[in-house]
Amino acid sequence: MRRYITLDRGIGIAALVLVVLGPLVFSGYWVSFILTQTFWLGIAATSMIFLSAYGGMVSLGQVGIYGVAGIVLGNVVTTGQVKGLHLGWSPWLGVVLGIGIATALGLLLGALASRSTGIYFLMLTLTFGVLIYYFFSSVTSFSGFSGISGIQGHTPHIVGDPTTHPNRLYYIALVTAFLVYLGVRYLVRTPFGLTLQGVRDDPVRMSSLGYNVTLHRTLAFTLAAFIASLAGVLFVWWNDHVDPTSFGLGPIIDLLIVCVIGSLYRLEGAWVGAFAFVLINNYTQSVNVPVVGGSFNTVIGLIFLVIVLLSPGGLLGIWGWVNRHGRALLAGAGATMLTKARPVKP
Amino acid sequence: MTYVRERGRRVRPVVGLSILAAAAAIVAVLASAALGGARATPIKIAILSDCKGPFGNQYNADIGGAEAAFAQFAGSKLVDPSNPTKGFTGGSVGGHPLQLVGLGCSDSTPDAAIKEVKRLMEQLHADILIGPLSGDEGVATANYAKSHPNQIFINGTSGAQDTTLKVRAPNFFRYNGDGAMWNAGIGDLAYHKLGWRKAAIIMDDYSFAWTSGAGMITDFCAVGGQIVKRVFPPLGTTDYSSFVRQLPPPSKVDGYFWVVGGTGTIASLKAFEQAYGPLKAKQFIGNLFFGVAGNYQSIAPRINGAYTGGFGTPGLDYQTPATKAYVAAVSKYVKAVPPLGAMNVSNAYNGFFFNYYKDGQALVQALKADGGDPSAAKLGPALSKVVLNTPFGTVKLDKNRQAVEAEWSYQLVANSKGTTVNTVQFIPGVDQTFSGTYSPSTPPPGRNFPKCVKKNLSWIGKEKPVVNGVIK
Repeated sequence: MRRYITLDRGIGIAALVLVVLGPLVFSGYWVSFILTQTFWLGIAATSMIFLSAYGGMVSLGQVGIYGVAGIVLGNVVTTGQVKGLHLGWSPWLGVVLGIGIATALGLLLGALASRSTGIYFLMLTLTFGVLIYYFFSSVTSFSGFSGISGIQGHTPHIVGDPTTHPNRLYYIALVTAFLVYLGVRYLVRTPFGLTLQGVRDDPVRMSSLGYNVTLHRTLAFTLAAFIASLAGVLFVWWNDHVDPTSFGLGPIIDLLIVCVIGSLYRLEGAWVGAFAFVLINNYTQSVNVPVVGGSFNTVIGLIFLVIVLLSPGGLLGIWGWVNRHGRALLAGAGATMLTKARPVKP
Repeated sequence: MTYVRERGRRVRPVVGLSILAAAAAIVAVLASAALGGARATPIKIAILSDCKGPFGNQYNADIGGAEAAFAQFAGSKLVDPSNPTKGFTGGSVGGHPLQLVGLGCSDSTPDAAIKEVKRLMEQLHADILIGPLSGDEGVATANYAKSHPNQIFINGTSGAQDTTLKVRAPNFFRYNGDGAMWNAGIGDLAYHKLGWRKAAIIMDDYSFAWTSGAGMITDFCAVGGQIVKRVFPPLGTTDYSSFVRQLPPPSKVDGYFWVVGGTGTIASLKAFEQAYGPLKAKQFIGNLFFGVAGNYQSIAPRINGAYTGGFGTPGLDYQTPATKAYVAAVSKYVKAVPPLGAMNVSNAYNGFFFNYYKDGQALVQALKADGGDPSAAKLGPALSKVVLNTPFGTVKLDKNRQAVEAEWSYQLVANSKGTTVNTVQFIPGVDQTFSGTYSPSTPPPGRNFPKCVKKNLSWIGKEKPVVNGVIK
């Protein structure tokens, strides 16, 4: 019987099986910290990669949007904490309002940003992110720099307290990540997704064909905001705390690094990049890089440089190269021709 | 050029098997790294401070302070006495060896602190955490402690009031004052010694600065002073000109309370100079940001003679047999705290070093009392009962596990011999509530709280002047 499963898919399925069995395979720390963080960070990265790969828009505003979802949820559900509005409303209402307000904000910001492109779009979305950071830093009734803690005590019943029941949040984050992945894959094959890719490749031609370029970009930005808001909800459930530094300039750059390390042009890169980032962050804290010094920031910076210089497609780009050339080497002469890749315009 | 993956490519069995085997090996390595080991018998300690951000220069001071206490009281030894971040080895209490499982590196933000706390407590399985350094980090850590009742958390130097007055985690202990306590007596000094009646205050817009400013406001207003303006530059501000312009000019007020920290201290004073001319020392009172080691050396020449609130330690001129013994002891174990330099009186009196030292001392003392049992059930009650006899006074905990301690006020001095910090007054028995001003039910210190109200504080009029390093 001939096998038609690709190596990429095989690895993907193996990875999926592994994470589904995660609580049986990995230690509690890996389940509750490394992998759960990878899932929600990957979802946040997906919102950026979706805009970049299919809309041609590299947005630095996604972190701010997930921060809004997190802050709104924190304000709505907590009560008796040190900071926040102390509303103490239903956890599900907090989820709906967090996602709803963040998505609505995405619609507004998308409408503003959709007429710009390239470096101007990048700068505009960076401005959005910084604006959101300073808004919540300054408006102390919502947060201030102290932020809101104790959110894990106000989660929906199905989530429970992630400290005592980490597996629940783990699976919720896993399922959400999987659904986001499938959903975006489906979406980019719909007429809307294909049009969006047309807008990415040649907006002038698409406009002359009668497509509303601005509207498509705005809707794409809104959808990305929705995805980012899911990450925001999972983030505050996981972190138990949110403050403006959770979505300040540092996390904005971190998310960009996650996407670049994974791949700015493939959805899978979101979780690959997130996993690599989280691992490096956790296991290089005590490392002292020779000569130049430093630990995590130096290591991640060096990796970032190498990726940018050698593989703009990120780790997945490297994997593709290794895959092609490895098989060519093993298979013998001339095999590389079998694996000629199809270039796309980012 | 970028490439997208190809679809539907067939994989040769041999190649596929080889790659899958390699992948399996990688997964096995990762899994083995991920699988937690069995808990060992040693007393597992983690220390958290800021290696980045505005207080990153105090990282070695914090770590070194705790390690000096372990060396002095539990017999451990620094791996490199000139570099405390290399850790320590040896040492035991009640037959149980001390084990440093990790050092945490935060950046003064609660988000970074919580991630590090999780790493230290959940990945490295510390029994006891000493840290963090700054205010909002402390609030977040105390909240974390509340949901992890089986582990012990001893505050580093963080001084937000909410940490112990509002959060009140049963397994969180703070052997240092909060930001308000450190400024006890400074308002009285402004009113009676400098003759201030109307003052303005500028403070960073976050919880430690609010707490620190609250101490100044409460103390100053308690004796009849008035705060006519409060200005709040956000953390991370680089250009303070617009905030300084919001302050009344020097001709309209008697003085300014200055609660701007990190790199903002000098920047904000420079902005004031540009707006209103040369600084007059008698018109400025700072909080610990003026007087802490690493800061006063650059601030004193600019504002020679200004008074400042304390940090739980006296100025460098206060030297007694007990303080000399303390300096000699810590100098024996810690030779340097980079980048602040070789261990000396200045670094030993540095509140960052000393407060972490107290934490280490309290921990060893409690472990000795409970036979070396690090479990929260045993160690928690033992920590609550600890009474620390330090060279700078006695420290005991209140019902919220918050220190009640003596405080000190300073004066910056710059002369031909260099710069130094002298002690001007000693304020015994300062507690967190400020004689009932603050309680779990009052609002947390913020932009509008506390109000400026005349009232009686227990230490008003009982501050003892310190002249030439001698308490009068």
